[in-house]
Amino acid sequence: MKYKSQIVAYWFFATCMLLLSLQVIYGFIMGFAHMGFDNLHSIIPFNAARATHTNLLVVWLLTGFMGAAYYIIPEESDRELYDVRLAYIQLISLIVVGVTAIIGFHLNWWEGRKFLEIPRPLDYLVVVNVLVFIYNIGMTIWKGNKFSTTQLVLYVGLLSAALLYLPGMISFENQTLDSYYRWWVVHLWVEGVWELIMGSILAFLLIKLTGVDREVIEKWLYIIVGITFLSGILGTGHHYYYIGTPKYWLAVGGFFSALEPIAFLGMALYAITMYRRSGRNHPNKVALYWTMGCAVMSFVGAGFLGFAHTLPQVNMYTHGTLITAMHGHMAFWGAYAMLVLAIISYATPIMTGRKLWNNMASMLAFWLSNIGMVGMTGAFAVAGITQVYLERKMGMDFLTVQKEIEVHFFGLILAGCLFTTGIVLYIYNFIKHGVPAPGNSLTEADEVESVPSLI
Amino acid sequence: MLSKKQARMLFIVSTGLFAIVFLALTYDSMQQIPARTNAHNLSASAIRGHEIWNDNNCMGCHTVLGEGAYYAPELTRVYERRGEKWMKMFLKNPEAMYPGQRKMVQYNFTDGQIDDLISFFKWIGEMDLNGFPAKPTIKMSSAQNNGAVSANSPQVFKDVCVACHSVNGSGGNVGPALDHVGSKFDAAYLNKWISDPQAVKPGTAMPQLNVSDADRALVVEFLSGLK
Ligand code: HEC
Ligand code: HEC
Ligand code: HEM
Ligand code: HEM
Ligand SMILES: [Fe+2]
Repeated sequence: MKYKSQIVAYWFFATCMLLLSLQVIYGFIMGFAHMGFDNLHSIIPFNAARATHTNLLVVWLLTGFMGAAYYIIPEESDRELYDVRLAYIQLISLIVVGVTAIIGFHLNWWEGRKFLEIPRPLDYLVVVNVLVFIYNIGMTIWKGNKFSTTQLVLYVGLLSAALLYLPGMISFENQTLDSYYRWWVVHLWVEGVWELIMGSILAFLLIKLTGVDREVIEKWLYIIVGITFLSGILGTGHHYYYIGTPKYWLAVGGFFSALEPIAFLGMALYAITMYRRSGRNHPNKVALYWTMGCAVMSFVGAGFLGFAHTLPQVNMYTHGTLITAMHGHMAFWGAYAMLVLAIISYATPIMTGRKLWNNMASMLAFWLSNIGMVGMTGAFAVAGITQVYLERKMGMDFLTVQKEIEVHFFGLILAGCLFTTGIVLYIYNFIKHGVPAPGNSLTEADEVESVPSLI
Repeated sequence: MLSKKQARMLFIVSTGLFAIVFLALTYDSMQQIPARTNAHNLSASAIRGHEIWNDNNCMGCHTVLGEGAYYAPELTRVYERRGEKWMKMFLKNPEAMYPGQRKMVQYNFTDGQIDDLISFFKWIGEMDLNGFPAKPTIKMSSAQNNGAVSANSPQVFKDVCVACHSVNGSGGNVGPALDHVGSKFDAAYLNKWISDPQAVKPGTAMPQLNVSDADRALVVEFLSGLK
């Protein structure tokens, strides 16, 4: 580690671990409710469990991105973080806002807008919080001694993510307008600016882990994010098919969203090519696993499974069914959850000075969570396809169909247990690293493998 | 192959270009949406209904316009599917309508709030959604929901009972088909059953529906004729 202020990232990552565990617990509550065991209904009705599950997801991913930025930006700008105290204040206030929101959900205090349930007064606090973050890393870059494309793309991604939060705060009397601008946040985040964040963090990790020439990696970074926006902006149209919007969105959204997988394919090919050209053997193999895994699984979840229901003819029947949940899980996992877990796997040993990489626990964590997530996606897929046929194609009653597919939620729970075992091992390994102490961190020299690679 | 500088240009140009096209299409959509969603029919009552919908996060269990959660029925066409009368009874006490099934929250809405929600659903149901939700394409042997229930059935039967029961193959399938119910039960039994199913058969899934005395008499007469 080059600068001691990079240690702030550790506390962001620790927060991620905590929020991720809570998210999984709420996932199980919903899985059981779908199976007919809604015993918690009177204290945690399904809508409260769902808002908590998805908001925790978004918050831990954002916390992870912030941690990543606090780690990467000082290193790329060649100076200490602009204001370390401000970063801690920002983390604590983020946690306070998050906890308040989640308690609010359980007391029926929210907005009924999927993924943006956080009540309006707290929205303003989130905005202030994010501005402080943007200011802090912005000043670090501004006053930095070095300038890099990776850093620029990361910063532009974070800044635009903050700006795009704003349209989600306008409310309308007309449901169609409400949802029109809701997608400016939800879609333009995950299929737009978050891909900038993803591309740049992957670029940083690939530079570190494979030692490939920065110029080559950064050129490809521009090409990939170029394709992202070329397809992703008008691709928003795939949410404007059936909500009371003009018919031309069927053509525009269908065409451009069908191109979106190219960006994810590009990301996967780019990681694989860089790995093969690898000029360096980094000893942290598990971080490399997560990095390559992220590139590949994001193509499967977002690219392939997204494409599966993005054409208007298909979406007419799958719109708002468990097919969407299938895609949502794999896409978020592959693209963003694995990304944050990759940077945590890479940075934690360096910050704490303990080389707990490549042990049994960390390898099992990678495989079990991924196999578990593939299983969960499969369970959602079977339930979703059955729902589409019975309810949408044959016109059976909603609740009758749900009874038919209860059994697939048992499958979901089983796969979820495998997944959770992986996550528990990951967190166990994270905790075993201990907290960073001054002077303990690894140096550049530790990042080169001395013995020949076994893998 | 592209140089790094050309790659950066590609990024900037494609982003700028497509952002402009997107904003232009958004401007055009804003002109068209009011007509396509019948914004002129968005009454004060429907707006209040939308607020109730929003404040209680109904979207955390249901979908409307295909957006939301996948735990409870899609509500875009609920007004057409269930009708006003049924929805009033249901929203008054959701659990009574489907005892022992997946639970909705008991909100204890006032009659005014229920009317607002119903206006909201009525407004939603009339939007032009480019054909969503699609009509089922595969025919089943026993047809579903509100089709042509025999013309001589009383209004309350068409409004409420067909949501769960079928006659001549049309109607819901939550409860049994009622085609020969007249030969199964006499009028006194049917009368008692409809006024309080739990008293006749504790634990039954048939809800207590608060049908008025006059309506109940009509329904009993109708059912008794189904031999
Ligand atoms: C905890 C989840 C949950 C929440 C929150 C919820 N519902 Fe429901 N709702 C259900 C379920 C489940 C059903 C299916 C019938 C049943 O089992 O009661 C249903 C059925 C309905 C129906 C009848 C649909 C049909 O086709 O039969 C309407 C109308 C309805 N809900 C309106 C609302 C409104 C309005 C709100 C918000 C104020 C709301 N629901 C909130 C779970 C929920
Ligand atoms: C929410 C769904 C629902 C609605 C609405 C409903 N029922 Fe039922 N009904 C049922 C169920 C479920 C049963 C089966 C009960 C049992 O066997 O325990 C049933 C049973 C019956 C039976 C006995 C049938 C038999 O063959 O045993 C009659 C008669 C009946 N309902 C009449 C009515 C009438 C009349 C109405 C309208 C006023 C009505 N139901 C509305 C669900 C419903
Ligand atoms: C990492 C990237 C992605 C993530 C995290 C993601 C996640 C999600 C989520 C959570 C939803 C549900 C949203 C809601 O209903 O509010 C959704 C919907 C959808 N996604 Fe993605 N997605 C990604 C990429 C893609 C791509 C590349 C495509 C197309 C090729 C795609 C196609 C769709 C479609 C068509 C829907 C609408 C489903 C419906 O009609 O119900 N997604 N996505
Ligand atoms: C054991 C673990 C998990 C279980 C059992 C689980 C289960 C569920 C269930 C039942 C739903 C609700 C679907 C509905 O509306 O009916 C849901 C929603 C969702 N979950 Fe999970 N989940 C788990 C872990 C995760 C993880 C790790 C992620 C992210 C990487 C995730 C992301 C999501 C998303 C994005 C949605 C919203 C989907 C949509 O709206 O289409 N979940 N989950
Ligand atoms: Fe999208």
